[in-house]
Amino acid sequence: MSTVMKIDNLQAKIGDKEILKGLNLELEPGKVHAIMGPNGAGKSTLSKTIVGHYDVEVTGGDITYKGKSIVDMDAEERALEGIFLSFQHPVEIPGVNNAYFLRTALNAKLKHQGKEELNAAEFLRAMKKHLEMLGMKSDMISRSLNEGFSGGEKKRNEILQMLILEPEVIILDEIDSGLDIDALRQVSEGINKMKDGKRTFLVITHYSRILDYIEPDYIHVLKDGKVIKTAGPELVPYLEEHGYDGIKED
Amino acid sequence: MNLITLKNKNAKEISALLNIKERNVLVEKFATLGLPHKMTEEYHYFDIVKLLDVEYKTLDYVPHTIEEADKVEIVDGVVTKAPKGMRVYSEPCESIDMDHFDGLYYLGHLLSPRAIKIEVDGDAHVEILHKYTQSDALINYRIVISNQENRHVTMYENFETGDIKNTLVLYGYDMHIAKDSTLRMVKLQTMSGNQYSMVASHKVNVAKNANVVLKNFDFGGDQALQVLKVELGEHAHVDAGHLLYLNDDSKRGTASQIIHRGEHSTSKQVAKNILDGEARGIFDALIRVEKTAKFTKAEQNAKSILLHEKAYMVSKPQLEIYIDELEASHGATTGQLDEKQLFYLQSRGISYIEARKILVIAFANTLIETVKDARHQERIKDAFEKVFYASNKG
Repeated sequence: MSTVMKIDNLQAKIGDKEILKGLNLELEPGKVHAIMGPNGAGKSTLSKTIVGHYDVEVTGGDITYKGKSIVDMDAEERALEGIFLSFQHPVEIPGVNNAYFLRTALNAKLKHQGKEELNAAEFLRAMKKHLEMLGMKSDMISRSLNEGFSGGEKKRNEILQMLILEPEVIILDEIDSGLDIDALRQVSEGINKMKDGKRTFLVITHYSRILDYIEPDYIHVLKDGKVIKTAGPELVPYLEEHGYDGIKED
Repeated sequence: MNLITLKNKNAKEISALLNIKERNVLVEKFATLGLPHKMTEEYHYFDIVKLLDVEYKTLDYVPHTIEEADKVEIVDGVVTKAPKGMRVYSEPCESIDMDHFDGLYYLGHLLSPRAIKIEVDGDAHVEILHKYTQSDALINYRIVISNQENRHVTMYENFETGDIKNTLVLYGYDMHIAKDSTLRMVKLQTMSGNQYSMVASHKVNVAKNANVVLKNFDFGGDQALQVLKVELGEHAHVDAGHLLYLNDDSKRGTASQIIHRGEHSTSKQVAKNILDGEARGIFDALIRVEKTAKFTKAEQNAKSILLHEKAYMVSKPQLEIYIDELEASHGATTGQLDEKQLFYLQSRGISYIEARKILVIAFANTLIETVKDARHQERIKDAFEKVFYASNKG
């Protein structure tokens, strides 16, 4: 199997607490990988570690992306290289205009790729189709970033960023939390639009509901800081019936 | 003139030193409060003695023929231009507060026996431009502003200098906000280095059902203190906002007293401070609710961001309450930029330096965006970004 990202014997801690304890995972390009596991298994820590969150200290192992180690890279460098995390709880930033933020992020990426940056008018034209597809009102991009947004609006805004930045590895951390059925459908539509056989998804979730909308190729069960089982989508109904305790380690 | 010579002098000595023949009551008030010094509460964190103990050149305040212009222009304390039809003239101030807490308020009146009076008729937008052209000078002037009942006035106050240095400006307003009216005053001050220092000592009377909005955007260098006293009548309201951005070793800020005298009066005071280098910011603000001010609402908040380990913020929000029937809150926070917000921006490929700039500007914008007029809001944003980017070229 070719891999876009390889996580090898990864050990990481937050504060004094060791959370990832020798985690191994390979992500196949163009595929949807779902990470499932009970509370406290280390799912969110894994996503934080991949994007270089300041909370996490890597104490062992390695993460390679397109054959290059990223554990010493800054968060911004990882993002520019094409790694994207849709946050479970996106922060509110009063005073930062959403459109300004989105254009700044896009232009940083274009600059990194040696491409010409977009002016405000070009950017707004490029945004329009994404806003329509996600059912977002145009005034949402003229408001402060995530400030006063409902849970659903915040998640839509995360997906909007994903659509604009066109990353290669997309980590969706509990993307379905706080979403009603309509919002879940729209967010899933946005995600499925990005499934072009080249981009890789890492869908982190407690529940299988999101997997009704985003069809996974692989299911990885994470428990106590390690991936204990990898299987195809047929594992989902088994998990629903037997729970995580019913899984035997590979 | 060296103002420190007035230190610890009695009324008679002060009259002699300032060559004042009349106005004994004012001299007595000044003698009682005395020249501010290091232990004067409002000036405790401000190097006032350093500013007073200097030999300044004094200026002659000769009334000028007032040219017609689109704004009021005051050059070195003398009005030179004013809009057509606006009553701007010079005469003794008859409405001096005899219970002000600031000695320099009285000294300002003593040094400026004739005040600049601006009477604003009807609903109006007025711009006031202060220009300072003299180095090593003491520039002192007082301005009296009054509006009409049921009218709404917005004033924009700006400052310009020539190539000057080491000047001290003592100025201030006595404002009379008429019943059922609104007055908005938006002050923008930017400068670099030690062109001039300033103590602006104001008194604002807000009559029944009147509303005053005081927004102070201070992006200056060197030293400046805004000393503010506001008195609120029945159902009167004040909305006071202060945005401070300081760098290097500048020391600037606000010392204020908002006094609720009338029932159902309301006050909102918000200070946002961004301090870099070895700067010191001051927000020493008291809200006092008198026994006569039942059903008052008072809200006071100061938030400060320190961008450098040597930057220093003095935040003293204070409430002094003499009744039970009221709603009041106050608080102050001082810290660094929010790590979660910084990370969020970086996780989208925005560099740490750019993310930091975005967050600082955002912090400032939350106050700048309370200025309703889009043109002036943009002007203040531009002014802030100009001084901020000049200090953060990395």
